[in-house]
Amino acid sequence: MNARLVLLSVLALSLATAGHALDFGGLSKGLDMLNKAKAAKSTLDDANKMVSGIGPEEERALGETVALEIIGKFGGLVRDEETMHRVNLVGHALARYSARPDHAWRFGVLNSDTVNAFSAPDGYVFITRGLYQTATDDDRLAAILGHEISHITGRHALRIIETGEKSSVLMKHVSSRSGDVRQVDAYLNQVGLNTEKIVKFLVEKGFDHPTEFAADQNGRDLAAVTGYAPNGLRTVLEDLQARKGDAQAVFSTHPPLAERIKRLPGGR
Amino acid sequence: MNPPTPSRIWPLLGGLAAAVTLQAALAAGGTAFTKRMETKLLAEPTPLAAVSAKVGYAKSLKVEETQGAWLRVREGENAGWVFSGNVSPVEIKEATGSAGLGLNASATTVTAAARGLSEEAADYAQRHKLTNARDDLAWLLEQSSAVTAEELEAFLQEKKLGEFK
Repeated sequence: MNARLVLLSVLALSLATAGHALDFGGLSKGLDMLNKAKAAKSTLDDANKMVSGIGPEEERALGETVALEIIGKFGGLVRDEETMHRVNLVGHALARYSARPDHAWRFGVLNSDTVNAFSAPDGYVFITRGLYQTATDDDRLAAILGHEISHITGRHALRIIETGEKSSVLMKHVSSRSGDVRQVDAYLNQVGLNTEKIVKFLVEKGFDHPTEFAADQNGRDLAAVTGYAPNGLRTVLEDLQARKGDAQAVFSTHPPLAERIKRLPGGR
Repeated sequence: MNPPTPSRIWPLLGGLAAAVTLQAALAAGGTAFTKRMETKLLAEPTPLAAVSAKVGYAKSLKVEETQGAWLRVREGENAGWVFSGNVSPVEIKEATGSAGLGLNASATTVTAAARGLSEEAADYAQRHKLTNARDDLAWLLEQSSAVTAEELEAFLQEKKLGEFK
């Protein structure tokens, strides 16, 4: 059932019950009706508040489940401590100058030959082994991680949900304990976008092109302010373009390489 | 060379406008916003200078002077130098969710990496046959939180990154 209909039914039920109370008279019943009407209004107010955004608790629950799905779909993690250490040092250096410097960030390498990178809400950044192998210096690695960090600080994945949420004002009603994944899952089902659907969106479809170009630009700025080469992303994309024709899909969830390169500033 | 087509000009102009706006915000007379739970304002525009004041999360700072990537800022009585990468040119807005808590209220996110995988996520993994991914994720949390603030600071200094450039 449409989430708005659910809410309207709840409201209608509250008011109908209140009306029934009035039929049988008495001051206390009248007060009861008033309280029930107030409660119904409070539900609506609370639900309206939810439209303002997904808070840290919901983001954490989503981040963990989306991260699980991404890890599961791309061959697990490369369990090499040296690789992890390098990715996390460069990643944390970038994150320190991002819009969310105090957040708990996690950077990992997926055990897959494909050439791609992903982010999950709440600070999870993944790069495939295929792409990691092209990051032969820290400028290149920073360019790749900076782009994904920008998706997270820009709340790009959460925006997909928040957009869906605008058609629903039921979040609090469904999920009073937002940290509970099952309840958040239930909420997401209500708005027709459960975790698996978000994952499908992230790992198969990808963000729309304007969102990707914005992440390219913001990621480039972040790499530059951190002290990495501003042309790092251009180098990565041009490297990949030069070896295009490989059987492996390259950045399949991102806009065409030539389009991305064209939009980057030319200076080296 | 052919003149650029309109479809090429618009993104260029948009990008230019955005860059000009951001620069203006972090120039003298502009406003910068704090993005850390605590932002240190320094006596000199160098990373190891004495701390002259500390400012809390999401505060507006008036930019009074710039020197390279450093800004001399003021927030009421608090004044000092800050590296431009440590503040935001755009206003920091807190997202609040159903628990009514914003990032500021849940400052525990700083220590979140150290707390390991939540019971709920472990349960989700069980229900969705993702137990290998669950073990990997637990390992990821452990490895990521192994990078301490001190180690990161030493890395930034060694590689001449951020304010140590």
